[in-house]
Amino acid sequence: MLVTGASRGIGRATAELFAAHGARLVICARSDQLEQVAERLPARGASVVAIRCDLSDDAAVRGLLVQCRKLLGGLDVVVNNAGIMRPGLLGMQSAGDIAQMVTTNVVAPVALLQYAVRLMDRGASIINLASIAGTRGMEGVTAYAATKAAMLGLTLSAAKELAPRGIRVNAIAPGFIDTDMTRALSPEWHERRVASIGLGRSGTPEDVARVALFLASELSGYVTGQVIGVDGGMQA
Amino acid sequence: MLDERLVQCYVRGLGMAADQVTAELAYNSRREWDSVGHMALVAELEATFDLMLDTDEIIGLSSVAKAVELLAKHGVELAS
Repeated sequence: MLVTGASRGIGRATAELFAAHGARLVICARSDQLEQVAERLPARGASVVAIRCDLSDDAAVRGLLVQCRKLLGGLDVVVNNAGIMRPGLLGMQSAGDIAQMVTTNVVAPVALLQYAVRLMDRGASIINLASIAGTRGMEGVTAYAATKAAMLGLTLSAAKELAPRGIRVNAIAPGFIDTDMTRALSPEWHERRVASIGLGRSGTPEDVARVALFLASELSGYVTGQVIGVDGGMQA
Repeated sequence: MLDERLVQCYVRGLGMAADQVTAELAYNSRREWDSVGHMALVAELEATFDLMLDTDEIIGLSSVAKAVELLAKHGVELAS
């Protein structure tokens, strides 16, 4: 299994949950916190290798996949989680921020899948992390929402293209999840978002990880091309 | 005479008989080497020679002769 963006937040929680179920994992991220995450996981009985990788670097991605092939013999699950958010009103967002988000949130996941599918066989599962911002829209993060909407197109199209090979592709669209990414937002914005959630609380990375585990497992063996909201009934 | 490892990539990837794999064999020239077979062939080449081709290289892999060129570019020494 490969989990990208695994040094914190949803990626980290997903790696931890998969490891708790005995997964053989390669986790990657740019952050130097990655090794600390990896060190904690083997104690739970899993096999985990941490590889620092900038997913916007094509050569580095190919190197990552070569390592996956060597270490795991192939891939049965890819969690395409790595992403960034640069909040900003439509008229106030810099071109640099937009380009960064498009590179990290769209170009890199597509490229990763181009390589990863070559290591995948029948029964494999791809899980893309989208966002409620991409499924329903959200003010203040318009460019980010556009990149996450692209993940939906990637998921739906790849699901059709890869179905004949028995590879499932699904997306998770988290709502307001308590991560470093959302903690960077203003307190007012944060409060307003939580008030719009039917279940009355923000989500946790573990809430999302449990759905990722479902999509990775045979429990979802007849599920492909779906976008599953994990948002506590949030009104975006 | 083609390198046996290369021939076996075509045998495993495309399901062809070894004696059908020649330098002249080209993409789409046989039913087995269609777009689906192409990706299986790429996977075989990558696993056998321990490399990861980029997308342009995969698109350019239009014949066995091109495969020989591509592997040489990646430093693979083939028997000839």
